[in-house]
Amino acid sequence: MSLEAIVAIIAGGLVSGSLYALMASGLSLVWGTVRMFNFAHGALVMVGAYSAWYMSNRGGLAKALQPLGKSIIESSENSGALGGLLLPLGEWLVSMRGGFGLVLGVPFAILCCGLVGYVMYVLLVKPFVGKPGADLVVIITTIAGASFMQNGVQVIFGPRYKQLDRILTGPPLQVLETAIGLQEVLVIVLTPVALLLLHFFLKHSKLGMAIRAVAQNDDFAHLVGINVGQIYPLTFVVSSILAGLCGVMLGGLFFILPTMGAQELLFAFVVVVFGGLGSLPGTIIGAYVIGFIRESSAYIFSLYWAPVVLFATLILVLIFRPRGLMGGEES
Amino acid sequence: MLFQVENLTSGYGKIDVVRDLSLHVDDGEHVGLFGPNGHGKTTLLRTISGLIETKAGKVTFQGEDITNLDARKIVARGLIHVPQGNQLFPRMSVQENLTLGAYVARTDKHKSSNFEKVFSLFPRLKERLTQRAQTLSGGERQMLSIGVGLMGMPELLILDEPSVGLAPIIKEELARAIAEIAASGVTMIVVDQDVELLLGICERLYLIEKGTVSLETADVSQVDQAEILEMYFGKVT
Ligand SMILES: Nc1ncnc2c1ncn2[C@@H]1O[C@H](COP(=O)(O)OP(=O)(O)O)[C@@H](O)[C@H]1O
Ligand SMILES: [Mg+2]
Repeated sequence: MSLEAIVAIIAGGLVSGSLYALMASGLSLVWGTVRMFNFAHGALVMVGAYSAWYMSNRGGLAKALQPLGKSIIESSENSGALGGLLLPLGEWLVSMRGGFGLVLGVPFAILCCGLVGYVMYVLLVKPFVGKPGADLVVIITTIAGASFMQNGVQVIFGPRYKQLDRILTGPPLQVLETAIGLQEVLVIVLTPVALLLLHFFLKHSKLGMAIRAVAQNDDFAHLVGINVGQIYPLTFVVSSILAGLCGVMLGGLFFILPTMGAQELLFAFVVVVFGGLGSLPGTIIGAYVIGFIRESSAYIFSLYWAPVVLFATLILVLIFRPRGLMGGEES
Repeated sequence: MLFQVENLTSGYGKIDVVRDLSLHVDDGEHVGLFGPNGHGKTTLLRTISGLIETKAGKVTFQGEDITNLDARKIVARGLIHVPQGNQLFPRMSVQENLTLGAYVARTDKHKSSNFEKVFSLFPRLKERLTQRAQTLSGGERQMLSIGVGLMGMPELLILDEPSVGLAPIIKEELARAIAEIAASGVTMIVVDQDVELLLGICERLYLIEKGTVSLETADVSQVDQAEILEMYFGKVT
């Protein structure tokens, strides 16, 4: 294997690992706390990508607001003081016809995903919490939710592929004579930052500690005064935001389409089981390991063989460590 | 009267475990509950603290009706229940467990002095601050469990079987600590199999059988305890 290939595999592994880590950590958090698997988690990736696109791209919200901006400008010309006040707004809207950029796009995606995550919890999960067989019922309801979101997005945005603007433009980074795209570099660098923020939230904030407390002993969590009923939706919101971030990154690397996130969800499940159910450190280590396995098997065999190699590895790990890499070591 | 349970009935599903039970605790009093295993003591405590629904009857705390209030609202009033089996957050450190004990807002301003109180009562916890709860010994876990309860600044502290399964030396150490908490003026309900331990702490005892109070003592703290025991419960040892 050439040095060039090794660098490419490492870079590719870091990118895939980052995406899996963002996605699987949310999945793992929900599993650890609510004891349910959210099959709409992949659709949230898609929601993140679309909402970032809608806010940032000139074909999105900015385009939709152009007529409003123009009519404000027109009407302000023949309507006194109020018109004068509104004029700058109209001019601003018209001036933003190139899109609101990712500076607004990313926070908007976070907001949307948090909101969708909350609504999803209320509609698809909450009615079944504490009832017998809830974990199985929720598999069905969240699959239904995912399908609803995918079709809804298809209706709203149409089937044509979209792509996010590049945050960094310029020639790719040269590492040992191998070119690595700036977008990829961004993913590699920003993901650990997001995961570190997650770590600090869970470890040091009151609500984050409450999430972990409920995950470890919900009975005792009640007895120290934690509002357990509030922690479940909060966990969904946090997990959905992580999925949304993954979507924004995916949207910067590949095309955005209604079914995106589905394959990532599959890999994220592999990661969660591989790393040890409910263990956040295990999940994150697992994500990067799976990322590297995927990239190297794609290089050595072919992209189509990557899932086969992955599942073979998963089965092997589970034979020797039935609870995954760090099972029973939950955060 | 600080705390009163009137004609309480509760249980699991259709089965009533606690039946028509009444008891009361005065301000500053320490009351012991004992009785055979499986007769509903834990169920009673879990009903009081809002983990199990009250089917009938009434629970009053500080003059207010707290029947079927959410557990967290009961905790916020200072009714703190340290559950049976030294329950903790197993994969969190001693410090994190104690911090979570002070989750309710009314304890915010007193957090550091409460930490000091817990450490002076249980110096071992201070030595093991960063250790995960699940790696502590049984006695230490029980100490931590009580410590978490104290971080919540109890107006009424309820301990469920604090001495169960502990070696005699540890048990003595724990009994001393509980007596110290009692002496510091915290009102308490203590459930334990060990009547002698209860007699060292409590002024009054209730015998719980088949989900209800079958015997209630007068003040046992002033009189010869062996005599009291025989009088009420026959030969107990
Ligand atoms: N979660 C539960 N579901 C159904 N029955 C229970 C449950 N917990 C306890 N019980 C039953 O309730 C009865 C009283 O138990 P408990 O309150 O734990 O008694 P004690 O604390 O006096 O030993 C027992 O018969 C027990 O089997
Ligand atoms: Mg019991």
